[in-house]
Amino acid sequence: MPKLVNLTINHTRVTVPEGTLIVDAAKEAGINIPVFCYHPKMEPVGMCRMCLVDVARPVIDRATGQPVLEADGAPKLSFGPKLETACTTPVSEGMLVVEDSPKVTAARKDILEFLLTSHPLDCPICDKGGECPLQNLTLGYGPTESRFDFADKLHHAKRVPLGELIFLDRERCIQCGRCVRFQEKIAGDPVIGFYQRGRKLEIQTQTQPGFDSIFSGNTSDICPVGALTTADFRFGARPWEMEAHPSICAQCAVGCNIVFNTKREARSEGGMAIKRVMPRQNEAVNEIWLCDKGRFGYHYLQSGERLTRPMIRQNGELVPVSWETATDTIVERLKTGRSGLTVLAGGRLANEDLFNLKRLADAEHGKTLFYTHMGGGDLTGQVGLAPGSNLATLGKGDAVLVVASDLHEEAPIWWLRLKQAAARGASLVVLNPRATRLDDFAAISQRYHYGRVMDALAALFAGEAGQVLSQAANLVIFFGSEGLGVDGSQAVAQACANLLIRTGHTGRPNNGLVGVWSEPNAQGAWELGYRPAKNLTAELAEAHVTLVAGADPAGDDPALAETLQQSEFLVVADLFMTETAKRANVVLPALPYSEREGSFTSGERRVQRFTAALPPREKAHTEAMIAARVAARLGLKIEESLPVVFEKLAAETPAFTGLSFDRLAETHPQKPLLSREDLYYSGTAYENTAGLGCTLALTGSPAEAEPVTPELPAPVENALLAVPITRLYDRSSTLVHSSSILGQRMIGAEVWLNPQDAAERGLSAGAEIEIHLKSANWPVKVVINADVPAGAALLPRSVGIPAFELAALEI
Amino acid sequence: MNTLAEKYPQDIKRILAKYPPEQKRSAIMPLLFLAQRETGQVSPEAVQEIASMLAVSTTEITSVMGFYTLFHDHPGGRYRLQVCHDLSCALNGAETFLEQLCRHLGIEEGQTTSDGLFTIEAVPCLAACDKGPVFQLQGDGEIVYYEKQTLESAKALLETLRQRAAGEVTP
Ligand code: SF4
Ligand code: SF4
Ligand code: FES
Ligand code: FES
Repeated sequence: MPKLVNLTINHTRVTVPEGTLIVDAAKEAGINIPVFCYHPKMEPVGMCRMCLVDVARPVIDRATGQPVLEADGAPKLSFGPKLETACTTPVSEGMLVVEDSPKVTAARKDILEFLLTSHPLDCPICDKGGECPLQNLTLGYGPTESRFDFADKLHHAKRVPLGELIFLDRERCIQCGRCVRFQEKIAGDPVIGFYQRGRKLEIQTQTQPGFDSIFSGNTSDICPVGALTTADFRFGARPWEMEAHPSICAQCAVGCNIVFNTKREARSEGGMAIKRVMPRQNEAVNEIWLCDKGRFGYHYLQSGERLTRPMIRQNGELVPVSWETATDTIVERLKTGRSGLTVLAGGRLANEDLFNLKRLADAEHGKTLFYTHMGGGDLTGQVGLAPGSNLATLGKGDAVLVVASDLHEEAPIWWLRLKQAAARGASLVVLNPRATRLDDFAAISQRYHYGRVMDALAALFAGEAGQVLSQAANLVIFFGSEGLGVDGSQAVAQACANLLIRTGHTGRPNNGLVGVWSEPNAQGAWELGYRPAKNLTAELAEAHVTLVAGADPAGDDPALAETLQQSEFLVVADLFMTETAKRANVVLPALPYSEREGSFTSGERRVQRFTAALPPREKAHTEAMIAARVAARLGLKIEESLPVVFEKLAAETPAFTGLSFDRLAETHPQKPLLSREDLYYSGTAYENTAGLGCTLALTGSPAEAEPVTPELPAPVENALLAVPITRLYDRSSTLVHSSSILGQRMIGAEVWLNPQDAAERGLSAGAEIEIHLKSANWPVKVVINADVPAGAALLPRSVGIPAFELAALEI
Repeated sequence: MNTLAEKYPQDIKRILAKYPPEQKRSAIMPLLFLAQRETGQVSPEAVQEIASMLAVSTTEITSVMGFYTLFHDHPGGRYRLQVCHDLSCALNGAETFLEQLCRHLGIEEGQTTSDGLFTIEAVPCLAACDKGPVFQLQGDGEIVYYEKQTLESAKALLETLRQRAAGEVTP
């Protein structure tokens, strides 16, 4: 416990921990000291002088070292000669801070008058207008008139693309440096900086592409003026015209808390549309940050290519029909003697969908299969993070192991949080086959050859790193699937689980195993009993009625496409006409999560609720509803209402015991205290009023087990080793069906080679070649990267090339 | 194109040796001086090279260049006279001095004389506030301060510089 310090701010007595800055102490007491450059997530720099306050300290008698007393016995206080910046001055015992005196008011007025001398005051066309700290503070404390000669106003460029995502308006910048400091200190990408000085100062970037950072959007939240705006939202809407709907980002397993800002608009034919995605504070998940994929990749939700009507196959063609006809067609099929329903579901479905589909399958003597390329989720269910976990509380004495994952690409916000944990003193151990951006912050970082991860883990545990991990007060292990298939990652997870069990790092907060899944609810699927098939092709070939939801196996793998083509009866529920849907007998339009409510379970096992941001736009239904409707026609009762479904789920699934939508909606005060009332303090992120979510309980007593290491592919002469990797801006449907906003950064069908391997084969960067993999040829573009180990050919997932585990690849 | 590493291997070694390896970004300024030694400006290629040499982003290098009036990313005259026009100097007549100097050379502030010899620039405080008008001269590899200047003293200097330049063997 740090020492507590007592002080008075205006007339309010405050007690805060030693080291607290005056500005934060005031905030605790409900007094908002205006700031521009100060941000509670960053070190203070005292650059803008907006936070000037009058500070008095007790007078100490030099001879005795005792406080001098007034006649009435109260300690004598002495004000400093000048005002002090509340953002850089820490509190001290007996201090008196005055922030409402005429002197302070005059100082604020002067600072604002200076800031406004050359400010364009184009609030009516500024994106920030309505949620702008400069506007608010000028109204609150500024002068009503400027003494500045209007003709002397400087004019600067107003449309400076820092990259294709962020625009700079030079006239509006007040030079607070928040954006530059965020990029350097928090995002770890010092790709924007000040250029020139004084009135010539501007924000510049020199990278290619410009402002090359996957966290760039956050700068537009914390910029206290409209100087940084996103290409996506610029001139999109006025802040006060929009509604705010709490939700969860569905682009990866982190589960960042977001708000969908929506607005009715002519461009959407008078309908409501999502105008932007904003962070919503959850200090245990994403704090107040989002990655750019989460912020800009939402357009798929309102893509014009979404499925709008149910369809059934008639004479070889898919034709639109009513829901009744579609449901009838499925029910009839299920009723035929040889019924039996195989559900193949992906981790994009909500808990409620997965639960209802499972109930339907169970009732129909069917089975549920999880469509995934990564295993180990049964283990994260047993030795995952326990309630009370928060990566932000990892520090000195704690350890984190990351194995087989490029977190910066796969789960950006986890990367950011682990970087911070390392800065607080946690020992970060990274075990990967190639250099990743986490290495810079790792205490120990080791490499292994693709295919040798199990040996590498054994060696790591036996060595110095093993000591660090075993002796850590708390230990969290993140495992991914770089170069691994379902079995390979299962084996890695088992080895890691064994270490956690052996060293007593299970069943308590901040300890356990986390899977770096690529879907928002993969963990939920595992928790609800969904498991990958041992042999998916065989399962699908045998199935009588197959229902594929939230997955596109045919698009991923031509072999599966072949199998699905031959299906006896295939039902597909999806947002888009996927390769799988094209082969279906019945296609059902699913509702995107932005148009319904539900819950996802994040990789950290936090169940979080999302709400409907928009009314359902198409004649679509949730998968949960589809299951309920089919069930009803079969004479079974499955709940339709999502809160009720969740209650039922919680009652039947031990880990979810006691949870309800209401529980998920509970909140408690978080630090920094932020609110939309004083945007200047921490930016335009939303406060969390809709729920912080709940971490699932751990049930059962985990036991060590021998990992089953899958066999390596037989070496083929002259062949390279095809290695599946996961990239942030991939080609999954969420990005392919988004607008072009992230287009420039999206990957294509490409193969990454080491410079020497490329040279030996006479390949240069950008060359269009064909690779031979799994007895087929695939056109790809060559990317040369020095971090790729010799002999490896890295193939990003989701570009349509079936690389799901290590395999021989010929060029 | 000659890289800095090819041209000045010894100087670079000497500069880098001054700083501990984990603080090699401290070498940004000396390396920038080196880069602009010959042509009076730092080329984008040199910026790239220094960035990779010191493992910092190019944005950081250009930020440093932008902050200091000492570094130039655009061509100027053979000599650059940078006159302080900040408050103390202004009170000491720097603005009049600057105006006279420009008029004498027949150029505006920020311009270069047609013979390519002199560029006049107005810059913020040079930390000689009690000795204004003051300017710093760049052009012979060093930076030289000229304090308490008058138009006459400046004219005399310009003449000296002119002669020095005329004496240079033009390749
Ligand atoms: S762009 Fe915004 S955040 Fe960056 S320095 Fe200017 S005002 Fe501050
Ligand atoms: S880190 Fe993951 S959950 Fe968070 S914003 Fe990015 S994609 Fe979304
Ligand atoms: S100086 Fe304190 S907020 Fe800027
Ligand atoms: S004001 Fe001219 S040197 Fe300081």
